[in-house]
Amino acid sequence: MADPFKARAPFAPWDRRTLPGLFDVEETARRVGNYKWAEMKLFEALGGWVATVPELDVKMRLGTHCYHHAWHAELWHKRLPELREMNPDRLTVPANDAMVRFVEAMTEPEAPDQTIEKLTGVYRVFIPRFIAAYTYHLNGTSEITDAPTIRSLKLILQDEFDDWRDGEMILQSLIETPEEAARAASHQQKLESIMIEAGGIAGPGTLGGM
Amino acid sequence: MRKFLPVDDLARDERFAAITMKERFADQRTALNIDGAAQDKPRTKFRLTPERRDASDGARGLMHGIFVGEIQALEGAGRTCFDFETAGVAKTGTAATESSDMDVPFALKLDMARQCWDEARHVEISVKLSDWMGTEIGQYAENTVLFAAACSNDPVLRLAGVNRALEGLAIDVFTTMKEFGDLAGDPYLEFCEDWMLADEVTHVRMGSDWLRKVTEHDPERRKKALDFQGVVDKLFSYGGTRSDSDESPIGLARRFRSLAGFTDDEVEAINEVSIQALDERKARIAGARAAADHAPAG
Repeated sequence: MADPFKARAPFAPWDRRTLPGLFDVEETARRVGNYKWAEMKLFEALGGWVATVPELDVKMRLGTHCYHHAWHAELWHKRLPELREMNPDRLTVPANDAMVRFVEAMTEPEAPDQTIEKLTGVYRVFIPRFIAAYTYHLNGTSEITDAPTIRSLKLILQDEFDDWRDGEMILQSLIETPEEAARAASHQQKLESIMIEAGGIAGPGTLGGM
Repeated sequence: MRKFLPVDDLARDERFAAITMKERFADQRTALNIDGAAQDKPRTKFRLTPERRDASDGARGLMHGIFVGEIQALEGAGRTCFDFETAGVAKTGTAATESSDMDVPFALKLDMARQCWDEARHVEISVKLSDWMGTEIGQYAENTVLFAAACSNDPVLRLAGVNRALEGLAIDVFTTMKEFGDLAGDPYLEFCEDWMLADEVTHVRMGSDWLRKVTEHDPERRKKALDFQGVVDKLFSYGGTRSDSDESPIGLARRFRSLAGFTDDEVEAINEVSIQALDERKARIAGARAAADHAPAG
């Protein structure tokens, strides 16, 4: 057996984590507050739409995904006090006014024949933006000092990928004609335009470049 | 999307057929012993058990009722996530400063989202169980009274209506169905009902806890909510469909209701209301039949 008192390196040779990261505590808290606000708006919309979609399989998926995003909001809510924000509500805000307008436009469809628009907004615009923002954060943050955020990001990203795949497959099964494809594309373009103005889930700089 | 969706706008595919409470009560076909309406006559056992002559159809009808009930419970929980603002959280670009009695705590919304997931699973389970029992979706009519009655525009009343009245009814129904599965030698049915029952106890407890917390300093609002629950409970008693009496197809699951936070007095009140509703229904059907017998031919 190896000598338990022999000095070992604190980091194993295969552990290549480094200290530097792109975000300080304050910036991390700001982003996390934006994430929480956006996840909240998403789970509220999914919950509200359940009653408005006639397709039974979609109804059940929306109910399931509603909880996933509520849980993400909860993870971010719990992270905020650990980032020195003792009043989580103070930072639970949209990145900017364009983000508010994006959510309003995304949640506008209500009629039972607008399932394509509802799902397009969530699974072709909003969730891909979450995946991008979270991946950028995961890749940029300090691997040692910000390990708790990384853990949440990894758990959340797994959900986001799974939900995106579910939603995209449902959409592909619903879109049967060129006209329906055009409806989806038109709605996507409308929402993307507002999202470009917003700059992403955490505003301009969501993916760096500021 | 509007806040507070009217019950008539609940979206359904072409297989679903809606029936109103009025139409349901006007149906004179019943296996109830109408003569037993008189207080001095012995009551007939009508609990849903495998011995009942119409047990097969009764169980399949009840399972379909569970299925549509779960859809409405899913919709109700989902609407609670959307219909009310979150206390303290920004509605626009800056942190919220104004609050209203109609706002709900963030943690309450998280519970409702969790309930959405649970109810979505229950719909999945009910679809598979219905298929197992040989029933097709839409084979029985859907009564949307659960959503209509429970989904108040006041969040506290909605908690009382959805989480205590509606989910309390679900506890009774699942317990009866679980026992039916046990007696009928159907472990598949019993297994699934037991899982759903565990979730429903959780949902009622959520409702009981939130009702207590939200109205902690507002006894008048709490009383209003409990009164509303009483009205909804009476409506959900469906002409005596559930009570301690063996004449009711569904029993009152006293032990599980206690686990969920109901007091003995509260359960007894539901029982009394249900027995009264049962007698009223029998008298109404007997009256309708007598009128039909005496109607001029042609």
